[in-house]
Amino acid sequence: MSRRKTGLKEHLEAIATGIKYLVKPNRITVYYPEETIVLSERYRGMIHYDWNKCISCSLCAMICPADAMKMYRKKGEKKARPGINYQRCIFCGYCVDICPTNALSFTRVHDVAYEDREEMLYPPERFTQEWVSPAEKEGAKKLKVVFDEERGLVHEPE
Amino acid sequence: MGVVGMLIRIALSPQFFGPIVFPGLLTVLVVLLSIIWVERKIAARVQMRVGPLYVLKPLGGAIQMLADGLRFFFQEFIIPESTDKLVFVAAPIVAMAFAILPFAFIPVAPKFIPYSVPYSMPVFLGLNTVIPLTILAMAWGSNNKFSIQGGIREAYMTMAYEAVLFIAAYAMALLYGTLDFAEMVDAQGIPGIILNPFSAAAFFVAMIMSAGKLPFDIVEGEQEIVAGPFTEYSGIAFGLTMGIGYVQLYGFTLAFTLMYLSGWNPVPAQLYSIYPALGGIMLFVKAYLLLMFIVFLRSVYGRYRLDQALRIGWRKLFPLSIIAVFFSILLRVIGIV
Amino acid sequence: MSSSVVTRRLLAKEGDESVYEVFIGPQHPASGHMRFIVRLQGDVIVSVDPDIGWVHRTMEKLAETKESIKAIPLLERMTIIDSQNVTIGYVRALEKLLGVEPPPRAKYLRTLLSEINRIASHLYGMGLAGIFVNHSTMFMWCFGDREVWIQLAEDLTGARLTHSYSVPGGVRRDLPQGFKEKALKAIRYMEKRLEDYYRIFFNNPQVRARYEGVGVLKKSDAKRLGIVGPNLRASGVKYDARLLGDYGVYDELDFEVPTMEEGDAMARLLLRGEEIKQSMNIIRQVLDKIPDGPIMAEKYMRLVPPKLREQALKEGRIKFPGIFANLKLPKGEAVARAEMGHGEIFYHVISDGTKKPYRVRVVTPAFRNVILFRFLPPGHRFMDFPPIYGSLDYFPPEADR
Repeated sequence: MSRRKTGLKEHLEAIATGIKYLVKPNRITVYYPEETIVLSERYRGMIHYDWNKCISCSLCAMICPADAMKMYRKKGEKKARPGINYQRCIFCGYCVDICPTNALSFTRVHDVAYEDREEMLYPPERFTQEWVSPAEKEGAKKLKVVFDEERGLVHEPE
Repeated sequence: MGVVGMLIRIALSPQFFGPIVFPGLLTVLVVLLSIIWVERKIAARVQMRVGPLYVLKPLGGAIQMLADGLRFFFQEFIIPESTDKLVFVAAPIVAMAFAILPFAFIPVAPKFIPYSVPYSMPVFLGLNTVIPLTILAMAWGSNNKFSIQGGIREAYMTMAYEAVLFIAAYAMALLYGTLDFAEMVDAQGIPGIILNPFSAAAFFVAMIMSAGKLPFDIVEGEQEIVAGPFTEYSGIAFGLTMGIGYVQLYGFTLAFTLMYLSGWNPVPAQLYSIYPALGGIMLFVKAYLLLMFIVFLRSVYGRYRLDQALRIGWRKLFPLSIIAVFFSILLRVIGIV
Repeated sequence: MSSSVVTRRLLAKEGDESVYEVFIGPQHPASGHMRFIVRLQGDVIVSVDPDIGWVHRTMEKLAETKESIKAIPLLERMTIIDSQNVTIGYVRALEKLLGVEPPPRAKYLRTLLSEINRIASHLYGMGLAGIFVNHSTMFMWCFGDREVWIQLAEDLTGARLTHSYSVPGGVRRDLPQGFKEKALKAIRYMEKRLEDYYRIFFNNPQVRARYEGVGVLKKSDAKRLGIVGPNLRASGVKYDARLLGDYGVYDELDFEVPTMEEGDAMARLLLRGEEIKQSMNIIRQVLDKIPDGPIMAEKYMRLVPPKLREQALKEGRIKFPGIFANLKLPKGEAVARAEMGHGEIFYHVISDGTKKPYRVRVVTPAFRNVILFRFLPPGHRFMDFPPIYGSLDYFPPEADR
């Protein structure tokens, strides 16, 4: 591939391209706390645990690559149940994929913040909680991502 | 009454109003605060972003720089043990002083000239040449390897643009037959940029080099030498060093407008009759638009290499400025001006 | 200027006071997670010492302490921007040990994600090459447009960067609804954008001035130093691990491996642009040719309860068989190589017949390319150092492992 020599024409072309985008900007920013993207159906977000479906097979704890999932056994109870530690979780989703009864499932929530580390521990009882995105709870405008030929990604209200 | 009247008279006199209010200190401050915001907004528009937003959201974060400036004020100004303390502290202050001083020689409007000297153009350019020396002092005083590298770059860059800047400006002086900005404006029936485009082009590039804006921000060279001569600075002193380039650039755009864009013409007669300095509004608008174009170049260009900048200075701009001189002579000889 | 002569003449003076030593990094705007000890004489670089290892995370050792499948999410953290390509080699090595072959559809899907990742990785590299000469627009554009490809990958796998998509025997997710239209739109968008990239960056005289003729890597040197990836191909050597046909469906597709002769920093940059075009070409073909069928090897699928198998087919996301939690690796050794955005990655997995691999050896492309820092800059000006760094697309966490 031979290269062209560059000169004044290319200077002007570069400036013209800059001006083109200055006049017609192609922004992809989402104003997060006021707007939020609704994640796709198969997004690997926070994990939800279904108390009744679980058969205590402990496969999830065995396959967890980050040792985030642990089996908890209460005194006097036969069944051990999984709990998760979000300090360690890497959201690979192996536990969900291996669960033979679909007791574990992904939610589409991931924008969660914690004030202290203790809160990030989810023993089985807390693990069953329903997840709501904090931004959505605060009434953020929901956006969906649309692919566009001219602009790449466009965020449209859902 | 007498005292107040006198104070108002002093405040409105060209000698005070020029350097302190417009186009001097206060306007410099406003320009400084606004142009950095404008630069960031322009760059953000081109670059698929939004830019500063959350400080005064209705106006798109317009006072972001004020917030940043305040932060600089209250940030600790660290003077490292190893520095040459007097030089280290004094250099940015002196630099800022010399960046603002030239505004005293910029005429604002017809017959509203702060310090009327017949040599205002060379005085203006001459005062600007002091700034590289203060930057060298900063670099030396910082006692830091990156700073000294930056200082050497500043010295080299001065070689690249200074001769061009002067020769291009003198070409215009030759054309108009005067060394005074005000008389130059009066002499421009046709804007100077059309009369002598060679001079305008050389001066334009040289002034970007002088102010150290992209594509010639070689002295700061973040990717190699962190912040060049300003590496060791923090707090308000860093704010000053950051501002110098912009203040210098603003001064140069005013000079460019006076020399090439027919200055304050057309003068809005009504405003002029209220108060002469208001007649300078066109001067400011033109200069500001030019300033906006220069900061826009940041989103088009990266940085040239030091030796390439020197090559541009000596191989392209210097001959161009010489051509400009001969072109001026030619125009004089055939009597167009 | 012959760099070897300069090196020889001036290296003798190391420790001499005429040499000005600058430490770039680890805390420097343009060092990355590493340190360069640059010695200057005047403005000319005498020698550069790449001081690596600042982000060493014992990847190889950690991989030995885990059941084989658990190392996949671990190893993708070496090059988080290119996680499919960095793990596919490991997955292939495991497959060879386990004696499974992924079904054709899974191979196509792997290829698809590999190329999406390659584009994202090249955009990342090009963006950094932009900011290394303070061209902030290129930086922002590349990272902005990378978002398009990350979004595609997210639609496919469920995660933006840490896909963990390929597992021994197949892939974890089938194509979602409407993926083809989205991908084609993304390709058409990128093609338009590349033209603007050329206008504002590749053909910009300022960029040309900084990158052209800088850091020339001769063909013979590239071979001798064992360089891989775009850095090698920009020196005129047509070598690409995709051509080996060990993984994916590259042998069934029609694509070119672009090469360039110049071997300078500009060639390395332009080559990445060309490879993006080729990758988009591959994605188009994959989407056209992709066959129907299972996405997981029958050997593992039949271990999954029938109800779940049906559900997996319906939802397009597979369920792991319980055996995955302690997959026993047969005794033996396997090697695999794959082409990442940065170059060829090599895996050597040794198993002693237990659940955990006995040894996992990884040779990453960045590790093989890091020698260039020692070799290319001497003889250049100090200001040439960032463009050389930028053109190499060096990724410290990958080299340090």
